[in-house]
Amino acid sequence: MLKADNIASIQQYFLAVGIAVCLILVLVVRFFQLQILDYDQYSKKANTNRIRKVTTSAPRGLILDRNGQILVDNLPTYIINAVPGELPDRNSTLSLISKTIGVDPSSLHKNYKKYYRGRFIPTRLAKDLTFSQISRLEENRLNLKGVYYQKFPERYFPSSVRASHILGYVKEVDKQIRESLTNPSEYEFGDIIGWSGLEKSYEDYLKGSHGVQFYQVDAYGREVGYVDDFPPISPEPGSNIITTIDMNIQYSLEEIMKGERGVVIVGIPESGEILGVVSKPDFPPDLFTGRILERDWNIVSNNPNKPLLNRFNQGLYPPGSIVKMITEAVLLENEDFDPHALLTCEGSYQYGDRVFGCWADEGHGNVDLTSAILQSCDIYFYKTIQYYELDRLAKYFRLFGFGQITGIDIGREYKGTIPNTAYMNKRYGRSGWSTGSLLNFCIGQGEILVTPIQVFHYTNLLATKGTANTPHLVSSIKKESENKIPLAPQIWDRITFDMGQVVSHSKGTGKNADPSIQGVDVYGKTGTAENPHGEDHAWFVGWVQYKERKVSIVVLLENSGSGGAVAAPLAKNVFNKIILGIKNSNQSL
Amino acid sequence: MITVRSKQYKELPISIISSVAFLTLIGLVVLKSISQHQGGGLLNNPFNKQIIILLPAIILSLLIIILPRYTIHKYSYPLYFFGIIIVLLPFAGSSHANTYRWLDLGLPFNIQPSEFAKVFTTIALARYLSDHTIQIKKFHSIIIPIGFVLIPSFIVMKQPDLGTAIVMLVPVLPMLYWSGARPFYLFLVIAPIFSMLTAFQTISFTIWAVTLGTIIILARQTVIMSILLFFGNVFLGLISPFAWNSLSYYQQGRILSFLNPEKDPLGVAYQVIQSKTAIGSGGIFGKGWGEGTQTHLKFLPVQESDFILSVIGEEMGFVLIAMVLSVMGYFIIQILKRAYLSKDKFSSLSLIGVASIMLAHSFVNTAMTVGLIPVKGLPFPFISAGGSFLITSYIMVGLVINLSVNYSD
Repeated sequence: MLKADNIASIQQYFLAVGIAVCLILVLVVRFFQLQILDYDQYSKKANTNRIRKVTTSAPRGLILDRNGQILVDNLPTYIINAVPGELPDRNSTLSLISKTIGVDPSSLHKNYKKYYRGRFIPTRLAKDLTFSQISRLEENRLNLKGVYYQKFPERYFPSSVRASHILGYVKEVDKQIRESLTNPSEYEFGDIIGWSGLEKSYEDYLKGSHGVQFYQVDAYGREVGYVDDFPPISPEPGSNIITTIDMNIQYSLEEIMKGERGVVIVGIPESGEILGVVSKPDFPPDLFTGRILERDWNIVSNNPNKPLLNRFNQGLYPPGSIVKMITEAVLLENEDFDPHALLTCEGSYQYGDRVFGCWADEGHGNVDLTSAILQSCDIYFYKTIQYYELDRLAKYFRLFGFGQITGIDIGREYKGTIPNTAYMNKRYGRSGWSTGSLLNFCIGQGEILVTPIQVFHYTNLLATKGTANTPHLVSSIKKESENKIPLAPQIWDRITFDMGQVVSHSKGTGKNADPSIQGVDVYGKTGTAENPHGEDHAWFVGWVQYKERKVSIVVLLENSGSGGAVAAPLAKNVFNKIILGIKNSNQSL
Repeated sequence: MITVRSKQYKELPISIISSVAFLTLIGLVVLKSISQHQGGGLLNNPFNKQIIILLPAIILSLLIIILPRYTIHKYSYPLYFFGIIIVLLPFAGSSHANTYRWLDLGLPFNIQPSEFAKVFTTIALARYLSDHTIQIKKFHSIIIPIGFVLIPSFIVMKQPDLGTAIVMLVPVLPMLYWSGARPFYLFLVIAPIFSMLTAFQTISFTIWAVTLGTIIILARQTVIMSILLFFGNVFLGLISPFAWNSLSYYQQGRILSFLNPEKDPLGVAYQVIQSKTAIGSGGIFGKGWGEGTQTHLKFLPVQESDFILSVIGEEMGFVLIAMVLSVMGYFIIQILKRAYLSKDKFSSLSLIGVASIMLAHSFVNTAMTVGLIPVKGLPFPFISAGGSFLITSYIMVGLVINLSVNYSD
């Protein structure tokens, strides 16, 4: 049967062997490439493949008031995650979760879509859950394959004060935020980051650092143990920060300012410490924690009075007469100027082709420098300042801190406007303005714009004769006091005396601010700032001295009338509370 | 009888036996490593399963060695038809994961009949090519042998098992070449395949068309024949995108993910990426037996069969991979040598068929694990776990030993 002979030639044999050898060689070369040439690349890949880095978030530092009372705390809440690849049936799992914890199923679906990043990456379904909700979830553990929960500390405000603009709020780090950071490696998605106020400016102290655990995982993403070569790193909690805020004073200020629109700042002039500050209207501090309803958020964000605006460092206002002490300083610096010389105020004054009025239409009669300050006569200053250069006045405004940021430790501070010759030329052209503008500026009107925090620093400089520190909200800041304002001591004394007269003299515009307490001296100045937004802004700046202690105050009430009639009584109210506080407890200041 | 014939052996095929023993042993060592963390029953453990299947495999192999050669020759056609019947049988039963590849005989494991049919078809083809005084230089005379293998191959493709179907076709061309077919005709057989594959890209299709034209001119055909061949192929290329749509979804997916593996990292391409990672991270000497992280953390898919070489690459490194491939190459060359030295045409052709199958399995399996070709579920001979193919491999070893002996008469 096997009759046919094999007739294969040697060439056929060699070709067959050649093909086999070639194919095998191709494979060997390929293995050489993968295992020897690309070894490093695949080795690295194999390691990241099997190691899952799980970060544990560090508890954020607390924010305390100057006496150690907690202003901002951490509330333990829970979030639930699902690993999509482990869910047997997404719809039924989500509806069971929704039934168990009482959350709208559509929000679970919405979150699933929003946070989904891969089949084996935990995807957040819900947050801000309580312990009892998690307990109910745990009871259904067996039916919830692929669902996990973890602790997630949320910011919480245990005290009765709001202080929303100071404390600020936190945000959850998402892709967009992370890309905008200069140090993105320190944050993971879902971390919280200080986004405004002290939460933002002291982020580096508050945030702490992540703990990291390395788990060995299998291809399904299941953790099968720790990795020996990578020991876990425990999280480092954020540092607490102690603010200069006095919770009692802050609370009083918030009570006093209820229903008002404006700013009140109270602090210690020498150190620049802020004891309390309110910008009204404000918003509940937990507005951004996610526990409040969207409806409440809309009410706040659509409010025409802009509660979200931090008025004390972002509100720009004409200062009005409260800056007359700067004009006074300019005048007194001139040795030829006689503060006792009497000038007549008839209620209006013609300069060039313009008529400038005094706030008192009937005029103040004969006034010297002190009575011009205490009655806040405008004509006196028109008549005296016209002999000076605009840039000289502007220089003194800048010496007292206007036209530049104060450097308060809270973000996004505005600089305001202090016009000088260059500014006026640029804005109106060389011939487009006249010395008449100077007359407006010397009484704090015209193009001048200031922020309340600048006014606070200015007040502190007056109260300390030029040695006040930068205003701040966190106590650790200590700076050497230095006098940057080259005024002679007798000039400071005169300014202080005049400001005392504003409150104590019977004709003083600030007499409504006098609490009339034995042993308490009050110094101040009112301001009634005309503005294009309607009714005048009412200002009162000043300080109270009780024994060796001074407490300074700035009151600004938007569009509510004259400083003497509206702001001064409010300042008196505050002074009363402060003195009461000092008398009650010697520790509170 | 047996003792008489054994004296006729000119030499004991030490090279064949030692190659097979080495590869089988490596397979067991690797399977033992994989089996370390596997609990469950006795047969859930691939190492135990392999040991158990080796027993009938070796016995069958020995039986074939002592089988008279003329018996093999005589029954090759009945075996061919038997092969067709057994690949049809699974369609009568119930499907496993929508496929009809396995035959449930009540044994603790299922049998994949297409593996056996592969060998039967090869032997039948060897008989056809050796029996007939066919005018092998004529084109039509290579059509019948091709039709011969296309029948079982088509059935297997319908199971559907593309990998095995292709391997079943592989021996035809080498065997035709071996029996003296004109290489140009063989080229014409595979030309349509190239025409279809290259048609999906303009540049590759242009290059192919130029190559095709050149070869046709060099072959000195008549003008009409040349034009027909050329434009026939071009036309085929043009319609193949439509044919593409008739492929099943998973077949399309496999081809597509090969062309662009990063596209679907958790699908088929995921397997290739994990396999390359396992192999690449093994380096020169590997991570050590039982220390392969990709293997033991289950990053590596189907590690006991399709991707078993990746386990070797990860745990034992390039050194052992190179050894395994060299031994496999040596084994195939030994078969080719015997095919060349064989005195009768039937034996010679059968050996070429076996060598082709071995080379096809080794190359396709290995090239797949290193990402050179699309994923095909083909095991590596002697190393991969897998009952039917292991038994078939040992049957082929038996055939090689039997057919490579030249009788003195």
